[in-house]
Amino acid sequence: MEKFNLSTSRLNALIKHLMTRGIVYAPHKNGEVSFSFDEVRDPGKVILNYNRTLQSIKKYFLPPREQLLSFSLKSGSLSKVEPENPLRIFLGVHSYDMQAVLRLDYNFSQGNPELNYLKRRQNSLFIGVSFEPDTYHFSRSVGIMVEEFDGFDLFLDKHSSGYTLYVVTQAGEELLSGFDHLEEAPDRPATHREFRNKIKYNFNRLSEVFDHAWDSSVWEEIAQRCVGCGTCNLVCPTCYCFDVEDDVNLSLADGSRYRSWDGCMLNSFAKVAGGENFRADLSDRQRHRVYRKFKYITDVTGEPWCVGCGRCTAYCTAGISIVETVNRLCEEYEQTVLRKPLAKQDWVL
Amino acid sequence: MSNHIRTGIEEPDRKMLELYYPEIAEITRTKQITELEKWFEIALPGNRDLNHQPGQFVQVSLFGFGEAPISVTSSPTKRGVFELCVRKVGTLTTAMHKLKPGDRIGIRGPFGHGFDLQKMEGKDILIIGGGIGIVPLRSLINTVIDRRSDFGRFIILYGAKTPGELLFKDELKSWREDPTIEYHVTVDQGTPDWDGNVGVITTLIPRLDLNLGNTIAAVVGPPIMYKFVLMALKSKRLPDENIYLSLERRMKCGVGKCGHCQINHSYVCQDGPVYHYPVIKQLPEAIQ
Repeated sequence: MEKFNLSTSRLNALIKHLMTRGIVYAPHKNGEVSFSFDEVRDPGKVILNYNRTLQSIKKYFLPPREQLLSFSLKSGSLSKVEPENPLRIFLGVHSYDMQAVLRLDYNFSQGNPELNYLKRRQNSLFIGVSFEPDTYHFSRSVGIMVEEFDGFDLFLDKHSSGYTLYVVTQAGEELLSGFDHLEEAPDRPATHREFRNKIKYNFNRLSEVFDHAWDSSVWEEIAQRCVGCGTCNLVCPTCYCFDVEDDVNLSLADGSRYRSWDGCMLNSFAKVAGGENFRADLSDRQRHRVYRKFKYITDVTGEPWCVGCGRCTAYCTAGISIVETVNRLCEEYEQTVLRKPLAKQDWVL
Repeated sequence: MSNHIRTGIEEPDRKMLELYYPEIAEITRTKQITELEKWFEIALPGNRDLNHQPGQFVQVSLFGFGEAPISVTSSPTKRGVFELCVRKVGTLTTAMHKLKPGDRIGIRGPFGHGFDLQKMEGKDILIIGGGIGIVPLRSLINTVIDRRSDFGRFIILYGAKTPGELLFKDELKSWREDPTIEYHVTVDQGTPDWDGNVGVITTLIPRLDLNLGNTIAAVVGPPIMYKFVLMALKSKRLPDENIYLSLERRMKCGVGKCGHCQINHSYVCQDGPVYHYPVIKQLPEAIQ
């Protein structure tokens, strides 16, 4: 794999170059402590050294609210609404958010493939950046390294004196054409990056833990604290459930059908018109959310649908930690099923 | 200039654009059958067949109100038009009750899995319908009636809260009079002019004389009914693999994406609404 030195001082030049190739989105400071992905207008405002953005880049492929079709109530006619797909370059993406996009690709291309998502996703290029794990990140526990290149076209690995720019794909190489004076980078030892936040077992053991976790008391315990606000759904980069609703314009002559993000933690999520609510208890909803991340799709694909970004925990209004929840289930599994602690060498199947 | 850069995602198939896009259909006939339920006959453009299986559903669009999943009540043996029977329970269904012949609605579907007719051929068919559960079952019932020689004995159990809530009364009469149908009806609360059975639907099950190995049960009713009907069928020793049930859930997309209808790992709009009972036993959220 080709790699080049990129000094911090040349970063702005690179961003300017990218802006000539497509629309560039990158992390920006948003308030005192938050970061968000926004379109780059001033390369100087881009921040590559950040812990996490409140929303992942999911919002660009599955917008919080999007028009599915429009209708005229007078003539009864419908028109299709098709998303645009200009070339978009996502700069400064962390590996777990890239992995989340790859998981959404699966959800929207298997079964009934969805044009809205796939079309938006189509002309997108990704430039990753390494990060220093904070106390919420645990992506290594779900099999995602900081320097995981999968999905990226280019990758910026930060080291003490600048960045190493890895060229991962052909598209990444094409993206750099015209950006001159890059010098070949030397081989460097991998930077050691410690994740302080860890799931107790390797992720490939979690399926068997969840085989025994259905009746755990943990669900009821976290439900005692949970307020059912749905923030965990809102910030999760792999949550993609949605609601569909019609809006009629003030003229009452026409309107549109929209889909908007929904969350399985919200009380009405599984409620039917007759009033029956199939997941009325918070404990059932918590369990469903966590099973969605570690069991249901994972049993089919082999990969956890949780990418270890730490958002649901960092932003939880009730201080509920997904790592703590999973670790509690691992401990219960040891106590009630294995009846002994799993030896460290047995963690990996 | 840079649109030639190849990314991993290929040009999506144009057909995908149709995923959320309803077809405009015309209401051809309607009938108010009870205070709460209204029957609609609907024609797709060119009187094209809906091509559904009994037990499947369509997403009905009333523009400005949204979409709702509604079971098809006509049998696939009825050609050119199809029928829905809608209970007035929410804003969309209330608005739908105001529609007349000539009005237009949007239709997507049919979606999901219905009753497996191939598995039912040659078998005795036991229909157990509670309340508006009879609406999707009517699609199966009329299929069996229209292809009567393909099936064995035909037993229909139907329960409603009161005599006034019994649907399709003309057809109930013809089922009762049909010598090839063993039809039993019950109501939870009788009225002075009701001379039939009074009691919940499970009271009709113990007295049945079933050929257990050769009987397929199709059960549709409110969630509360399933547990008790399954217990009654179990005490009759009807094998679990001879039972099919239809589950109601909220469905917004109908195509396995929106997540609302999910029961454990299963999307009801894709794997259901009709499930084989052995599959349901693996889904702890299915029947509570």
